Amino acid sequence: MNIVELKDVCKSYPAFSLKNVSFSLESGRITGFIGRNGAGKTTTIKSMLNLIHTDSGEISYFGMPLAGNETEIKQRIGYSTGTVSWYPRKTIREIISVTKSFYRSWDEDAYRRYMELFALDEGKKPIELSEGMKVKFNLLLALSHRAEVLILDEPTSGLDPFSRDELLELFKTLRGHGATILFSTHITSDLERCADDIVYISSGQIRAACSREDFMRRFGRPDETLEELFLRLEREA
Amino acid sequence: MGSMLKKEMRLSALLLTYLFIGFAFMTLLPGYPILCGAFFITLGIFQSFQSAREANDVTFSALLPVAKRDVVKGKYQFAAFIELCGFALMAVLTALRMTSLADSPVYRSNTLMNANPFFLGMALVIFGLFNAIFVGGFFRTAYKLGGNFIAYTVAAFIAIGAAEAMHHFPGLGALNAFGLDHLGLQIGLLLGGAAIYAALTILSYNKACRDFDRIDL
Repeated sequence: MNIVELKDVCKSYPAFSLKNVSFSLESGRITGFIGRNGAGKTTTIKSMLNLIHTDSGEISYFGMPLAGNETEIKQRIGYSTGTVSWYPRKTIREIISVTKSFYRSWDEDAYRRYMELFALDEGKKPIELSEGMKVKFNLLLALSHRAEVLILDEPTSGLDPFSRDELLELFKTLRGHGATILFSTHITSDLERCADDIVYISSGQIRAACSREDFMRRFGRPDETLEELFLRLEREA
Repeated sequence: MGSMLKKEMRLSALLLTYLFIGFAFMTLLPGYPILCGAFFITLGIFQSFQSAREANDVTFSALLPVAKRDVVKGKYQFAAFIELCGFALMAVLTALRMTSLADSPVYRSNTLMNANPFFLGMALVIFGLFNAIFVGGFFRTAYKLGGNFIAYTVAAFIAIGAAEAMHHFPGLGALNAFGLDHLGLQIGLLLGGAAIYAALTILSYNKACRDFDRIDL
């Protein structure tokens, strides 16, 4: 069942355009959203969160259009980015105590569990966290309200290999519990580790949206790794 | 208390903004343009907007399960809360100057604006200008602050200058009523100020909602 659908989403800036972006996310699967820097990954994700206005196209979650159902949809999705720091001088405790009041499904047990798993200290402020710990804090916010869909913009950037490994294992565990995950990345080894599906974007256009196996079959050469394939596709583009 | 106002007060606001409410005590200064107290209170709110911008506050709010309109509402509620706290303190101090402190020689010989209901009405006009020019202007981009604050500062000091000057014009002496003099006129002027505050705030809030809905974050 498709839980998220984008249909012909267009957005034009003076120097860049998203052109008829269409793909869907299936329930309980991990989708890697891959493309080089500036390909349109973040713009697509921002459109999915209604942070930017699309020029045309439709975005829907759980069979409901985003337009007109934004509040309900945001109760059921989680977003995390590896690059932004919210309220750098407030403690995690303060940020969480305010944030949780917005979510009717806030799961205090899950919150405590992830705090422990990520080794986060409630008394610390985002400004005191390393880049990797910031990513974990952002993830914590997304994971603690039982989000059915997780949209993660470069969640593994800045993480050390151990933390990345932990995170990718966590994605698999969440998938086991039925969560649908879309994560953008340019680290192809992350995709090889856990992605069921791949959405590949280049110059604002979706070049492929299919299972990882289909992607390798359609575009790959014998013995080519995903990284080699991705580099070749980008050079040929 | 609404969740957005709670978020504004606990995450977005600086302690400085609450401390700046204390500028309401300028109401007690003799020989000083006491309306500047209202300006300094809004300067405190400006500081919170500036700090919130550096904390990516607007994007964080827009990602919460609320309508985009609620992000605007939270900022307006916070500004109005601080302004009305300042106003309440100014009103108490004005009542003191009009009654038990009315015979104090320093107030008797005051050459500038007296603390009276007209002063309170003008303080509300200044708060209304802040909401309309600065807060409303902020939501045209959700990140530009400086130009809007300069425009507001110019407007606020024109209003302060006008309020200080008007009672010197023939026939307008009652604007600077002392103690309980001209109370009917004075209450009318206070209500007029309140109406201007409400109109500027509501109209600019509606426009800010439309502007914010149009922009990309």
